[in-house]
Amino acid sequence: MADATNQLRVRLVTPERVLFETLADSVELPAKNGYFEPLYGHAPLLAELGAGDVTLHGGDCDGEIYNVSWGFVEVLPDRVTILANDALKPEEIDVARAEKQLDRGVSEWKQAGDSEDAYDEALHRIAEAEAKIASAQKKPLHTR
Amino acid sequence: MANVLDLRRRIRSVKNTRQITKAMKMVSAAKLRRAQERALSARPYAKMISSVLESLVRRVVLFDEQTGNLRHPLFLTRPEKRILLVVISGDKGFAGAFNANILKIAHQFIAGNTGKEIDVEAVGRKGRDQMRRRYPAAEYVEQQTEDGRTVQKRERKSSIEVTGDHPGMLEKLDANRVFDLAHSIITRYVHEEIDACYVVYNEFKSVISQRLVVEQLLPLIKIGSPQIAGVVEPTAAERERAAEAAISAGIELEPIDTTEADEEAKKFGTAEVDYIYEQPAEELFSGLIPQYVASVLFHAMAESVAAEHAARMTAMDSATNNASDMIDALTLHMNRVRQAAITKEIIEIVSGAAAL
Repeated sequence: MADATNQLRVRLVTPERVLFETLADSVELPAKNGYFEPLYGHAPLLAELGAGDVTLHGGDCDGEIYNVSWGFVEVLPDRVTILANDALKPEEIDVARAEKQLDRGVSEWKQAGDSEDAYDEALHRIAEAEAKIASAQKKPLHTR
Repeated sequence: MANVLDLRRRIRSVKNTRQITKAMKMVSAAKLRRAQERALSARPYAKMISSVLESLVRRVVLFDEQTGNLRHPLFLTRPEKRILLVVISGDKGFAGAFNANILKIAHQFIAGNTGKEIDVEAVGRKGRDQMRRRYPAAEYVEQQTEDGRTVQKRERKSSIEVTGDHPGMLEKLDANRVFDLAHSIITRYVHEEIDACYVVYNEFKSVISQRLVVEQLLPLIKIGSPQIAGVVEPTAAERERAAEAAISAGIELEPIDTTEADEEAKKFGTAEVDYIYEQPAEELFSGLIPQYVASVLFHAMAESVAAEHAARMTAMDSATNNASDMIDALTLHMNRVRQAAITKEIIEIVSGAAAL
């Protein structure tokens, strides 16, 4: 079982800076094909991230949520490093902009036709916007 | 000969100018410090991406058995017929020869590639203005496809065209915008609209170690080592000048030591264990590659911004020194003129007295 001595060191790195580095019991991650939550001692893993929320559990930043979109994560037994293209706290999200993005994505999706690239790009945009809107409505969790 | 009043007025005006240049220098120094910090905090991401890629390449068989190249479209080399040149200049003037030097290198590059089609992507207002004056903008016409949709089609009129500019991108360097640009460059490369992409920018390690480089962004040859196609080092005198300016503004000369952080970042994705790959390794790899390209581009821009502020700081320091010299010379001149006037008056009085 996880106790105070075996915690994960979680780092969130964006292209601009290292956003935070903290200790946590576990961290929820939005991998491309679904959420997962590694605990201390997890086997080494590399995964691509989709759009969604990173949620910290336990430790100093218990319950903190960051909305990330696209990136990678490395899980080691004692360490989790998240490389995200963009990371925002829910209160920093510009909902109006996300909604505009969603509309644009939907209209691109309708016009994509047979072009696979355009289709992918539109889906990309929709997923990102939807994740942003969803996490803007969330409130910080307090699991403790 | 100018009279004392005129000279006094000129001195006052030069003093005012000196005050302005001095203020600009201090502002640039502060901005430089911030830009340096920003460039530094962008390092871990770039390092992590390149180290995880390097280790992925080593672990997973991603090579094409037939050609020996990496199995990814961005590693494909084609004969260079169409080149995309990204010119990163400054947004504002008053930075000495900063913008002129960048543009000189860009023009040299263009001149050295005659007979090829070159697209120019200008980042930074100064570069954009000049490139636009010199080369026509790319034109697109709308065409109807068979199924009735309209598509934009490029109509090339000249061998060198400006395909895009990005005003304000450097002012507030936003990773998202840079990543969008990188994405559009990658798409063009994958669709074989371009065969290679080069970036011209001012590399900036510290105030005394900077140089102008032409870096090959695409096709990728090797992960983690920049492919420099051309370099112009500053002269010793220029370097000395920059160092003097930095000292008087209180800027560190040596680059800040980040070895520890770099080592830490290099560990990303390189642990000596067998990773579980959540997605197939090829998929991870092709997801990481564009990020790598984007982070190289972002890095180039961050350094260019720092270099621009450093150049402005140096230029303004020189201007301040020149103004001080000018004030000294003018003051000396003014004193001479005043003395001459006094002497003349005394002579007049004496000779008047003698005549009595």
